[in-house]
Parts: sequence; C-alpha cells; structure tokens
Amino acid sequence: MQNPGQLKIYSGGILWKKQGGGKAVEVDKADIAGVTWTKVPRTNQLGVRSKDGLYYKFTGFRDPDVASLTNFFQNNCGITPEEKQLSVSGRNWGEVDLNGNMLTFLVGQKQAFEVSLADVSQTQMQGKNDVILEFHVDDTTGANEKDSLMEISFHIPNSNTQFVGDENHP
Amino acid sequence: GAADNRGQAKTIGDLVAYKNVNDLPPPRDLMIQVDQRNEAILLPIYGTMVPFHVATVKSVSSQQDGNRSCYIRIIFNVPGTPFSPHDSNTLKFQGSIYLKEVSFRSKDSRHISEVVQQIKTLRRQVTSRESERAERAT
Repeated sequence: MQNPGQLKIYSGGILWKKQGGGKAVEVDKADIAGVTWTKVPRTNQLGVRSKDGLYYKFTGFRDPDVASLTNFFQNNCGITPEEKQLSVSGRNWGEVDLNGNMLTFLVGQKQAFEVSLADVSQTQMQGKNDVILEFHVDDTTGANEKDSLMEISFHIPNSNTQFVGDENHP
Repeated sequence: GAADNRGQAKTIGDLVAYKNVNDLPPPRDLMIQVDQRNEAILLPIYGTMVPFHVATVKSVSSQQDGNRSCYIRIIFNVPGTPFSPHDSNTLKFQGSIYLKEVSFRSKDSRHISEVVQQIKTLRRQVTSRESERAERAT
C-alpha cells in the first residue's frame, strides 16, 4: 500500500515511523492545528494539519479506533476532530474551496479530492476560463505511488461568481 | 446506476459511479484503476483513490518519453465545448467549477496502455448505450 509504518498517538503529540526505519513524522501536540476523520473504502483516514501548514494523512483505522482516538484528541489535546465526507458520485463538477494551502474540490458539499498548493510548481491561465496547476513530482517523497499527479486543470465558466476578479487563484 | 430501466434518457448528471464509500473497489496500489462494473475510473490524488464516472471523460491519451517514463492525460467534459453532452446540465449546475484535465506520470507503460484501452472501450460502451436509450425515449 502507500507507506506502511507505525503510528503512536500519545499525550505529547503524534509520531509515525516508517516500517524498517528511515522516514519519520512527528507533530507536537502544540503544533496540531486540526484533526479530521474521513471514511475511505474499507477503513478510516486520519488527517492531521500542523500549524506550519503541513498536512499528514494516516490510513488504516477501524471504527472503534476512531471513537477512542476522538476521545483522546478531545481530552488530551483539546481538539475535536472534524468529520469529512468523501464524494464518490464520480462527477467532475462542483466547487473549489481554498483553506490555507489546501485546495479542495467539493462535489455536492462533499470532498472529491484535495491537493496541496505547496506542491504546485506553476499555475497558468489558459484562455479566459481555464486554470492549470502543475505539481512538483518528487520521486524521493513519501507515498510509493505508481502513477503520480503532474497536472490538473479547472474550467471556471463565466457563470461562476466565486472567483471573479481574483487573478491569483482558480 | 447501470441497472436503471427508466424509459427516459439519462443525462450525464444522473449517472452516479458509487452511492457509498464502501462500494469502491478494495484499496490497492496508488495507481489508476478502471472499474468496469461501476463504469468508473479511479485516480490516485494525494493518497486517495478518486472516482470519476466514465461518462465525464471526453478523451484519454498516453505518451511515452525516452526516459522510461510514461504520461497519461485525461480530458473531461466541460460546458461550452462543441457537442458537449453537458449542455442539458449546464443550466442545472450553473456556477459550478469543472475539473477539465488531469495528467499523471507513470513508472509502468504497460499499465498505462492497458488503462487507456480500458477507458476507451468502457467509454464507447456507455456512450452507445446512453444514446440508444435516448433514441428509444424519443
């Protein structure tokens, strides 16, 4: 799968270590800006947003884990995890939400996908209605993905009023 | 939505790939997948498999470079292009933003050519079924 390892959630924060050593992720309790739960196929995903703008996702939590960890985050960190729902309808139209450096594509108020603008190497306007985001592709980073996202583009019809007059953002 | 037998033409807006998160195929590697049964393609975007109904796909192509890398580009239907099947929906979803295009780089060119073929075939099947349905309805 993606990048197997061991996750420790303790009173000081969270610590993840890659299986077999190497890469580690550590977020101090004081640096956690927000926590989310998302139901993904067959399992649950924990999202941890740090105050310096990084965003980590950990997958593989059973439903009982979600309940007990939610309590833990509330009692030990004073953070109430938010529940995020995934859109699986397969539509390609919706809304774009920008929050910090995360861009979320929402279909019917649910999240279809999100990308980090920190990984965008270049944005381009194409014509009057299209915005292209190009991503850094770094072979040395985390996920062992076979197919890596390089480019994504959005079409913003004239009828959209959300981003009128903002040339820096889609 | 494949077993739907209303005697009415369906617009693309009625086609739904999955009703529930757990209807998605079991997670595998982070690579593009085609789910024939649900007429969906699944794209790995930031660690999550994101489904798109094949009816939203306008075209798909791949390209090989000399460096053993391979690229796949998927273009989706957006309003305002000629012959866009969205036209009946454009009004309904006015104000929406559309995903227009995605490109991926792959380490496996055989997998990419398989995916391109599968998407093309599936797209053809769905398009001809939907246009037959539309004809019957008129």
